Amino acid sequence: MRPAGRAETDSLYFDYPHFPFVRPAELEGRAVRHRVAIVGAGPVGVTAALELARHGIESVVLDDKATVNDGSRAICISRHSLEILQQLDVVAPFVEKGLGWTRGRTYFRDREIFRFEMPHSEQERFLPMVNLQQQYIERFLIDKADASEPVELRWQSAVTGVRHDASGVTLDVATPEGEYRLECDYLLAADGARSVVRKALGLALHGEAYEGRYVIADIRLRSDFPTERRAFFHSRALPDTTLLVHRQPDDIWRIDYQLGPDEDPEAAVEEHNIRARVDLIVRDVLGESDAWELEWWSLYKAHTLALDDYRHGRVLFIGDSAHLVPIFGVRGLNNGFADAANAGWKLAWVLQGRAPERLLDSYSPERRGATLDVFANAGKSTRFMTPPSRGYRLMRDAALTLALHNDYASGFANPRQVTPYTYAESPLTQADDGGFGAGPMPGAPLINRRLGEDDYLLDHLASGFTLLHFSTDGRLDAELADRLAMLEAGGHAIDLLRVARKPDDIGALADADGSLFTAYGAAPGSAYLVRPDRHVVARWKRLASGDLDAALTTALGGE
Amino acid sequence: MTDATLPFADLERVYERLAETLDALPEAQERLFLAQLALALSHRVENVDRVMAAIEEARRGVAEVSV
Repeated sequence: MRPAGRAETDSLYFDYPHFPFVRPAELEGRAVRHRVAIVGAGPVGVTAALELARHGIESVVLDDKATVNDGSRAICISRHSLEILQQLDVVAPFVEKGLGWTRGRTYFRDREIFRFEMPHSEQERFLPMVNLQQQYIERFLIDKADASEPVELRWQSAVTGVRHDASGVTLDVATPEGEYRLECDYLLAADGARSVVRKALGLALHGEAYEGRYVIADIRLRSDFPTERRAFFHSRALPDTTLLVHRQPDDIWRIDYQLGPDEDPEAAVEEHNIRARVDLIVRDVLGESDAWELEWWSLYKAHTLALDDYRHGRVLFIGDSAHLVPIFGVRGLNNGFADAANAGWKLAWVLQGRAPERLLDSYSPERRGATLDVFANAGKSTRFMTPPSRGYRLMRDAALTLALHNDYASGFANPRQVTPYTYAESPLTQADDGGFGAGPMPGAPLINRRLGEDDYLLDHLASGFTLLHFSTDGRLDAELADRLAMLEAGGHAIDLLRVARKPDDIGALADADGSLFTAYGAAPGSAYLVRPDRHVVARWKRLASGDLDAALTTALGGE
Repeated sequence: MTDATLPFADLERVYERLAETLDALPEAQERLFLAQLALALSHRVENVDRVMAAIEEARRGVAEVSV
């Protein structure tokens, strides 16, 4: 919502683009069969289109709007998400415009009781979290998609019906210039919390809706306070309310506050009530004295809701259409990005005939597994941030009171920010080789390492499967080289990324001090097989050339 | 006698169990329940100084937030 007199796209800092309607081939009476249609041009849908494009697969993206999101909404992008965006070659504007951060503070009764530092080191290219308004996130992705040949964006195109069977999916699409039917092999439903596709398929989300209601309000305020996450419990000004404050680019601050159990949410979101509450927070809780301007606000509830299955035949649900999670821990969009990458590469491999269709069976267990993991964490965070009952409130206040002087209790105030999920139980993941004492286990994503000035390990990944191979001089034994050549001849090229202590040639990454070997628990002859989404399929302390075929078969959905 | 403490993950389980147990009690019985619990836990601690220190920690917190 915006202040009276301002349109939905009338922002203090962001120029909303207008995306015109372009008549598609179908309206000219031409029959087109699309490989992949994506419903929803939000951040998750467009990321999926870019992931497909990265593997050479064309897609058409449909959205009923003519511009990007009305408000800032999801603002925290995790390092793992930035690494996804890096692989899509779109990360630069995110880093340039976004505000990176590593720390947070918790206040209880207006006293700082806890500071947290997110894991970070010089080995990482990206900060653990970057704040950026969703309008920018969408615009940067859309700009990239516009410049990407395989992606066709269709604006002002509302999906009104969905039919699917074993051979494909048909959509009814309503546009300013008439209706048409769109045929595709596969459909990605990225149409958000109120998914039309989900309704059309007669599916419902299951889980819990927590009692609490929250307001998120963006204001423009000049302040020198650094980019950190601040949480306030039991402030003198608002003792019954938990507050979260985040900095965003363009002098915009996000204020997130809980409504009391007796507050009428409709009254709470009236402009004069928003202004009064925000002013109290800015003056008495944040201690800011400068004038502030109201930009945008919205009401939300904390949910842990998900579909029982994220795949229904040729329809895959990605992002909020599949799962709704509480805001604490910033897992909504970040898990949506991971859904898009996961569904994208698998669909590409199936459509190219490089994997059997059953590869898609792994999408739901992997990504729903990630959602359930989020629920376990988010449920704890939500019960702490906004206690649902007398018992939880008493325990929360007890933990915060002890935390004033005792470090052992301060862990309760840790916000449990999003961490990438490990697909340890996935059918695509092989059992671990017990010989490793360090490095990412099968199912986990690769870890980054700094190699030199503006040069990191993950920069060197290609778009497909990668064999990360460790040796002394960078040379492969002849048997392994033959095996890779045979796989390539059979349509299963694996990109080789060699790490060597003393490389004989410039093609291998030099690890003169052995720190990359150490981080990966590797010895000469060790290897990691890595999926297109950077998750490890298998690793071997000493790779035998015959091991590769079996691991690749597992990674592509099994025999 | 050691100074061993409960791992944080277990402390979190205690937090959840206590919250749910408290919710299942009439509010008027909260104090009696918590006082019993303090005695029952103290019985399981071998060193009275540690119990006294815990009492002081809790008292200090209450004094602090009552200002």
